[in-house]
Amino acid sequence: MSEVRAPTTAEGGTIGAALRRWLVRPEAPALVFLAVLVVAFSLSSNEFLSGSNLESIIVSVAVLGTIALAVNQVILCGEIDISTGSMMGLCAVAAGAVATNTGGLILPLLAGVVVGALAGAVNGILVTLGRIPSIIVTLGMLYALRGVILLVTGGTWITGIPNETRILGTGSMLGIHYPVFVLLILFVVMELISRHSTWGRNVFAVGGNRRASRLAGLPIDRVRFLAFVLVGVFVGIAAVIYLGRAGSVQTNTGTGLELQVVAAVVIGGTSISGGRGSALAALTGAVLIGVILNGLILLGVPGIWQDAVLGALILLAVATDVLRRRLLGDKS
Amino acid sequence: MSAATAVLRRFKFSREMVLLGVLVVLMVVMSLLSPLFLTVGNLLNTSRFFVEVGLMALGMTLIIITGGIDLSVGSNLALVSVAVGFSFAAGLPLPLAIVFGLVVGLAAGLFNGLFITLLDLHPLVVTLGTFALFQGLAYGLSKAEAISDFPDWFAYFGQAYFLNVVPGQLFIFIMAVVVVWLILSRTRFGRYVYAIGNNEEAAHFSGVPVRKVKLALYSGIGLLVGMAAVIYTSRVYTARGDSGLGLELDVISAVVLGGASIYGGSGTIGGTVLGVLIIATLRNGLTLAGVPSTWIVFVLGVLLLVAVFLNEFFRRREE
Repeated sequence: MSEVRAPTTAEGGTIGAALRRWLVRPEAPALVFLAVLVVAFSLSSNEFLSGSNLESIIVSVAVLGTIALAVNQVILCGEIDISTGSMMGLCAVAAGAVATNTGGLILPLLAGVVVGALAGAVNGILVTLGRIPSIIVTLGMLYALRGVILLVTGGTWITGIPNETRILGTGSMLGIHYPVFVLLILFVVMELISRHSTWGRNVFAVGGNRRASRLAGLPIDRVRFLAFVLVGVFVGIAAVIYLGRAGSVQTNTGTGLELQVVAAVVIGGTSISGGRGSALAALTGAVLIGVILNGLILLGVPGIWQDAVLGALILLAVATDVLRRRLLGDKS
Repeated sequence: MSAATAVLRRFKFSREMVLLGVLVVLMVVMSLLSPLFLTVGNLLNTSRFFVEVGLMALGMTLIIITGGIDLSVGSNLALVSVAVGFSFAAGLPLPLAIVFGLVVGLAAGLFNGLFITLLDLHPLVVTLGTFALFQGLAYGLSKAEAISDFPDWFAYFGQAYFLNVVPGQLFIFIMAVVVVWLILSRTRFGRYVYAIGNNEEAAHFSGVPVRKVKLALYSGIGLLVGMAAVIYTSRVYTARGDSGLGLELDVISAVVLGGASIYGGSGTIGGTVLGVLIIATLRNGLTLAGVPSTWIVFVLGVLLLVAVFLNEFFRRREE
């Protein structure tokens, strides 16, 4: 804690310089905010800081966090994907339909991932080959995919998901539920891909400066296309977690999720204009949303205020991002 | 230069002709699908439903021409509806409640505009945030309840007939079309709008007050949303937090269908009006033909994608 009180002027010595370096990290404000909230909520409620409550918060954001990790890559590319709510619903329908027919975990998971990847590929093709802005593509897909759900299900629910399929959502090991493991494994995978793979590095380049990337010979269309497909794959995985936790699929499954996902990514600190951010930012953002929603419940705030809080958080996050960069004089 | 503008004019002319053709074909198809469609009563009644989308589409056209977008219009409509209904329920006289609603709409638009211009943020992110914020405020402030004990005269805005056949709000819409068309095509402000869309930086260095123009545009659409919300609330005679849910899709689709480039720099009021009419015809015709409303949303989603794709396809071929 002594570091925090260290001088913060530009000439403030090595501790100041280290702090300064840490503060320009994309996820720094979100982590500080998260720490403050955790302290505040633990002081105001005895239940908050119990191990089971903290674990249940992470379980509750597993679906959101999984999707946010992938949408993070799309946003890093300088694009956006707001079709994930309907996409999650469609993947859950696909996985649920397979599960009720065949049972097992692998086949439903495969069905969800394949359907998600196909939907993501449509997004990617329309954005890269069709040269339509991603906001319009994914806004159109948000509605179109919801229509597909109704076409496939005929408006009926899918129920009776067998227990062996639900295990990804309900099972636990060492007292920790599987969704936590899935989320953490995918987070580590994304950190590694981001830092050490060619595609991972290209994502930052394409989002940071698309023209320079093109001139440097990077395959900018392929990089962006893969990001959209990755979203589909992760949405497929998230859909099976959802299936396990909810036990049924409705026609409105996943409605509004797209907004929470984008909120998680930008609140975590990934810049909405691309090129700047990290997988840790997406994870932090998702956990932050979980903590806030959990805290609101503990404080007795009615659930209907959830959207307003979410919207205010998005605005706060993007404003903080701009102001922080202005204050630190970081023009990049 | 004059040759280029001549080509451009011919292109726009032909594009609007194409849209008119699409509209006629649609009307023929719809009248075959349902015998109720091609009656004077139904056609005039359709205007009840497109006036709200149309008013917002007028403002959206100018915003899209500058290269911006406003995703929060549907949520703002809900917020204004709740503001009118609940300030009335709290004892404010209805005329004042309506004025209050318009002020709320304008303020919400101004909020978007200030956020976008002061922080140099992309309108997409800001209005995605306010999309959730306004919707949440509408839900939260109304406690998810509805108000519908308005006095009889309130129905005038959304349910009145002129000469027993023409819906009253059609006149409001026609007036708004004329005013916005004049502003866009006959004033310096209108030229600024195109200039910003073509090259914002160049416009700035040429002395165009970019921020002021944007601020005016986002506030302006807020006011138009306010008007639409009053008409909407009067038409359905209920103020609720979920009014206008998803309307941004209709609005943006109409503008894009009307030929405005999503990248900014081009678009016309005439095109937008045709886009609004086409979407209204589709919605009304499909509803009369017994197609479920969720399917209509699907059709609109696909239509939006096809329209943008064709726009950019033809634009690239032009160049």
